[in-house]
Amino acid sequence: MKMEEMSLSGLDNSKLEAIAQEIYADLVEDSCLGFCFEVHRAVKCGYFFLDDTDPDSMKDFEIVDQPGLDIFGQVFNQWKSKECVCPNCSRSIAASRFAPHLEKCLGMGRNSSRIANRRIANSNNMNKSESDQEDNDDINDNDWSYGSEKKAKKRKSDKLWYLPFQNPNSPRRSKSLKHKNGELSNSDPFKYNNSTGISYETLGPDELRNLLTTQCGVISEHTKKMCTRSLRCPQHTDEQRRAVRIYFLGPSVVLPEVESSLDNDSFDMTDSQALISRLQWDGSSDLSPSDSGSSKTSENQGWGLGTNSSESRKTKKKKSHLSLVGTASSLGSNKKKKPKPPAPPTPSIYDDIN
Amino acid sequence: MVVSKMNKDAQMRAAINQKLIETGERERLKELLRAKLIECGWKDQLKAHCKEVIKEKGLEHVTVDDLVAEITPKGRALVPDSVKKELLQRIRTFLAQHASL
Repeated sequence: MKMEEMSLSGLDNSKLEAIAQEIYADLVEDSCLGFCFEVHRAVKCGYFFLDDTDPDSMKDFEIVDQPGLDIFGQVFNQWKSKECVCPNCSRSIAASRFAPHLEKCLGMGRNSSRIANRRIANSNNMNKSESDQEDNDDINDNDWSYGSEKKAKKRKSDKLWYLPFQNPNSPRRSKSLKHKNGELSNSDPFKYNNSTGISYETLGPDELRNLLTTQCGVISEHTKKMCTRSLRCPQHTDEQRRAVRIYFLGPSVVLPEVESSLDNDSFDMTDSQALISRLQWDGSSDLSPSDSGSSKTSENQGWGLGTNSSESRKTKKKKSHLSLVGTASSLGSNKKKKPKPPAPPTPSIYDDIN
Repeated sequence: MVVSKMNKDAQMRAAINQKLIETGERERLKELLRAKLIECGWKDQLKAHCKEVIKEKGLEHVTVDDLVAEITPKGRALVPDSVKKELLQRIRTFLAQHASL
């Protein structure tokens, strides 16, 4: 009775140990049985001996365990003497230095590409024959004439903006520049490039046109970038916007806020005159159509071309016009030595004149 | 008296085994043992032994009973002491937790 109670309430240590051993033996037997089933299945399915190979080949692929050799029996510091041939410059470079070399040689990465481009450019220059250089000159000529044309316009328009910084003789120079298109030195295009900045050089003509029809587009003095605000942005004046459009799109383009009658007037002149007159129009913004004829005559006189209008009217006109666009009218005429800054044009002045 | 004690022992064992299976401890122990045996190379040793046995008997005439008879004693003997100790320790802790029930 006592014994039964003991066994019921709990087991003493030796019994617990016996049960533990039993359970352990059970588990091991289970594992063995599982393994036997596994092997038997492998034998009957025919894949038990598949991972065996004949002893000869096993010997061939034995792992080598000797000092100085890797597991394949090779000398493991062999690679130190390996050299790779660069596919770009066909020099042989130590394998450990190959990747950095390739980076520089192919010009991947920022600095490397600059270095590589410079190097390629230098070598090209060294190798160029004379004929090649002539070809380059031709290309430069094209660029230059395109650039200089724009530059002439740019200068004219500049005058309207940056009067205090220009010397009084500059109109002369720009005029002569424009007439001697083919004879200028090559340095001019570079000046042109420097003065305009990069941002719009990357734009195509169509992009430029789109941009100018939707945005202000005035070029900043400091950043050399175009203003991206709306056409009515308060930071820039209408004159500046118009000048930019002339500079990029040429004088023949119909600009916003320019009356069609003005365009008609400018069309019967020669190209250069048209340009200049257009610039003058820009200087005096918001011209009414009634003014167009008279102001045109004054321009012509300024250039020594138009002499048809009456003397009294001419002087009258000239006074008012010069006061408005001092530099523009002083482009050709030497009567005005000192250009005045353009006063803000008001329609009331023109009304008075008429 | 002796017979009743034997019955009591059998009942105890049955209860403990039941507990082992119900709690899932038996499966956990089996998995642990399998991993340990593979880890220590027990399986590879037994496999090598198997190959001898099978070659001896001929590939076609091998039965499961033959294999069990040949392999189980060898398998029991080849279990490393460390594995055996670890497993027994776990079984003991399990029994200590559930002996009062």
